[in-house]
Amino acid sequence: MIFAQSENILAQPPSRGGQDDDVPSWLAGLQNESAPEKDELMDWARDVSEPQQPLKEEPPVFTPSQEDTPDWLKQMSAEAESKSQQVSSQPASDSQFDADTPDWLKQMSANAEPVEAKTPQDAPELNIDTPDWLSTLGGADDNTSSVEPAVFTESNVPEREAESLPPMDMPDWLKSSSEVEEEKPSQDTTTPLWLKPQVQSQEPELPAWLSSAEETVYPDQTKEEPAAQDDLLGDVPDWLKAAAPEKTIFDSQDELKSEVDASGGTDWFSAIQPSGETEVESNIEPEKVDPFASMPAFTPESQTDESLEGLFTEMPDWLSSASEQPSTSTPTPITNEDVLPSSNLPSWVEAMRPSDSGFSQLTSSASDQTLESRGALAGLHGVLPAVPGFTPTSKPKAYSLKLNASAEQLRHAGILEDILSAETSPVPIESFSTLLSSRALRWTLSFLMLAVVFSTVFLRTQIFSMPIGRPSEVSSVIQIAQSIPENAQLLVAFDYEPARAGEMEAAATPLFDNLLLLKHPRLTFISTNETGSVLAERFISGPLAVHNYQSGVTYSNLGYLPGGQLAIRAFAQNPSVISPFDILGQAAWTSPTLQGVTSLNQFTAMILITDNADAARVWVEQTQGLRGDIPFIVISSAQAAPMIQPYYDSGQVTGIVPGLYGGAIFEQHNAGRPGTARNYWDAYSIGMLIAMALLLSGGLWNLILGLREKREEK
Amino acid sequence: MQISLDLITGVLSFLFTLLILSYLIGDNPLFRIAIYLFVGITAGYVASVIWWQVLTPRLFSPTIPALFAGSMIERVIIIVPWLGAVFILMKISPRLSKIASITMAFLVGAGAAVIIAGALIGTIIPQVSATINFFDLNVAIARNINVAEVIGNGTIVLVGVVTTLSYFHFGARPQANGNPRRFVLIELFAFIGKIFIGITLGVIFAGVYAAALTAFIERISSLINFFGNF
Repeated sequence: MIFAQSENILAQPPSRGGQDDDVPSWLAGLQNESAPEKDELMDWARDVSEPQQPLKEEPPVFTPSQEDTPDWLKQMSAEAESKSQQVSSQPASDSQFDADTPDWLKQMSANAEPVEAKTPQDAPELNIDTPDWLSTLGGADDNTSSVEPAVFTESNVPEREAESLPPMDMPDWLKSSSEVEEEKPSQDTTTPLWLKPQVQSQEPELPAWLSSAEETVYPDQTKEEPAAQDDLLGDVPDWLKAAAPEKTIFDSQDELKSEVDASGGTDWFSAIQPSGETEVESNIEPEKVDPFASMPAFTPESQTDESLEGLFTEMPDWLSSASEQPSTSTPTPITNEDVLPSSNLPSWVEAMRPSDSGFSQLTSSASDQTLESRGALAGLHGVLPAVPGFTPTSKPKAYSLKLNASAEQLRHAGILEDILSAETSPVPIESFSTLLSSRALRWTLSFLMLAVVFSTVFLRTQIFSMPIGRPSEVSSVIQIAQSIPENAQLLVAFDYEPARAGEMEAAATPLFDNLLLLKHPRLTFISTNETGSVLAERFISGPLAVHNYQSGVTYSNLGYLPGGQLAIRAFAQNPSVISPFDILGQAAWTSPTLQGVTSLNQFTAMILITDNADAARVWVEQTQGLRGDIPFIVISSAQAAPMIQPYYDSGQVTGIVPGLYGGAIFEQHNAGRPGTARNYWDAYSIGMLIAMALLLSGGLWNLILGLREKREEK
Repeated sequence: MQISLDLITGVLSFLFTLLILSYLIGDNPLFRIAIYLFVGITAGYVASVIWWQVLTPRLFSPTIPALFAGSMIERVIIIVPWLGAVFILMKISPRLSKIASITMAFLVGAGAAVIIAGALIGTIIPQVSATINFFDLNVAIARNINVAEVIGNGTIVLVGVVTTLSYFHFGARPQANGNPRRFVLIELFAFIGKIFIGITLGVIFAGVYAAALTAFIERISSLINFFGNF
């Protein structure tokens, strides 16, 4: 909303009312800007008014003390006393504040009399916080309110809030401006509403507040009372301070004075010092109470895209004149004194500074007139002037990149290059085709094996004779079986997988059948495999079911022995502690099966049934030295027998029954009982023959193919 | 009609045997069904075994009697497994998982000690002694082995062990052309050792084939027996 006002400022015609020639449009805009910003002015107005609240409560006895009065008012008060006699038409209500009011404020307050007539009775009490020239503006608004209605409406400023505020908290000029806006609609759409009343109410040549200030003597004040001028400047907002000397950037001090004299400069205008004094002013500023300090020129809510566009496309008169002035006149030497410090410029003024008008003129004295076309300095001339004489006078010398290498060096380089290329070049990996069995071959072999095995087992053929010879390891087992006393206590370890049950039972059944039939041993089963206990039960209730062994009476199943090698070692050391119960939860070592047995060497013999060479090795290793002289028989699978054979050769294992072959041998010793090996033997023999034939034929076939390929290659 | 348990187990055995044998024609859903069922049944069975044969009789049941009526040694013996179990359970929490390293350190340390000692005492020293004593006639006579067999077996075993160990001797010296080459005698022994290794692998393969063939025969025989009983 406020930004829209500034847009109107920029869009304002330069010759409106004939007063724009005398008063800069930006100044007029600045003066009138206070009217629509009453919501923001309320902040500082509250700040200023709050400490003076007692004054409002007792207006008749109000006497401004030195402590309550701001510095700028104090300094102005001295001047005001000296000139109080010159003001003859001062209202009675303001007489008590004359001492605190500067002349120019008093003079402006004369124009504010009509406003006082309309404002409430307590309104003059706020004049102590409000400069008279501002009050004058309010009066001017009042005078012109009937002429031009206000078109512009404050969208974001809550008028109702402003109206709801007590009149004593609101300055006169704010009240008057608000009343004007309420009462009079604006007919002129090009002029901002807040500007119209002032423009039309002022004199044709000068605004009222400026004309009333003609009585002030600018030269005297500048010479005699510089401190007062500083104070006066302190009343000027920062952005106004920064903006005001803009006029004098390209003008001398004399031109400034003449212009001020011609236009009837006011006190505040005379307070504009040369740029060299701006630093002093900036140091003094924070100590002063500036009612405009809290009044921003723009508010974020008003910064719309349209207003921003208008802001940069339509420049105010003073800016356009400032940009045109140096083009016609000789540019003055740029010094640090002439350039306004950026800290004194409000952001919106800095944003408005054209990149190709102001600074280009400031830097016109530079010899390099190159226009920056891109980057942050786009549009500026000579901002990066080249140092004279820096430009190269001749082209740089071209150096040849060709190496002066001898033939020997080139040869060495070639060798190195070959080595590197050989390292980086991919080497094909020698691969040979994997011999994959075709589906037809697989089906053929499967059918062949299935047919042979099924037919031989189903027909119970006895084509092939049982093995005749007795290997020493099997003979040892036979001798042990014969030497075992009747009703002996045997420890049997079941350590094989269920998948190997067929082979292991075929290998172990003849031995156990012989033992159970002849010796009636008491069996104790244990397993380091989770399924071992079940396999033991299956074994005793399956192939050996005819012997009718009872759990807890003739055999005990100690179950699963967890812990691997550690458990085997512990069991070998103290079996009754490690496995105190059988799988039924009964105390195993007090049963008839294990009566009198407290250690491993008290068993008559130890039999291991396993399909794994590692399991056999573990049992051999961990029971070494603890089992004493008791026989240790291993009934192994055919795949594990070759690995266990060394332990037999070393004497660590007393005997081995290797797979179906060992079972078949022992079965012959057992008078053909139970006959399982015999039933399997033909199929086993045919299967082995088929395997041998296939392997041999396959090998020969590959040999023939290889020879043929070699012959073809030759 | 009363269905016997043997009939049910026989039918199931027959069915799953067919499913497994279907792998002869290649991987197929029937084979996978049988495998998945086997894995699941095995897992459930192992869990029940551990509960009924390990945890209950070895940990839970003895705890209260040992703590309230046992001696100090029994209390310590029963507390130590509990601590080890609790420490292992700390692996559930990432923050407290380091506590499990105490139990794991004990298991690793004790296991390594048992394995090394067992291998040294139960395998290395006895096997070296057996290889050396292969020509000991007294030992052979004690085991009812005739002299010719002792000499023949001893010679083969000695040559096989020496040449096989030579094969695994990889020390070599660089020659003039830069290629490393082992000593000539070692090279000869290594060549012979390679033959023994090949024979050993062939024996193992034959054993594996024989074991598999026996299992296959047993399955076919069980199927025939199942149908033969009806």
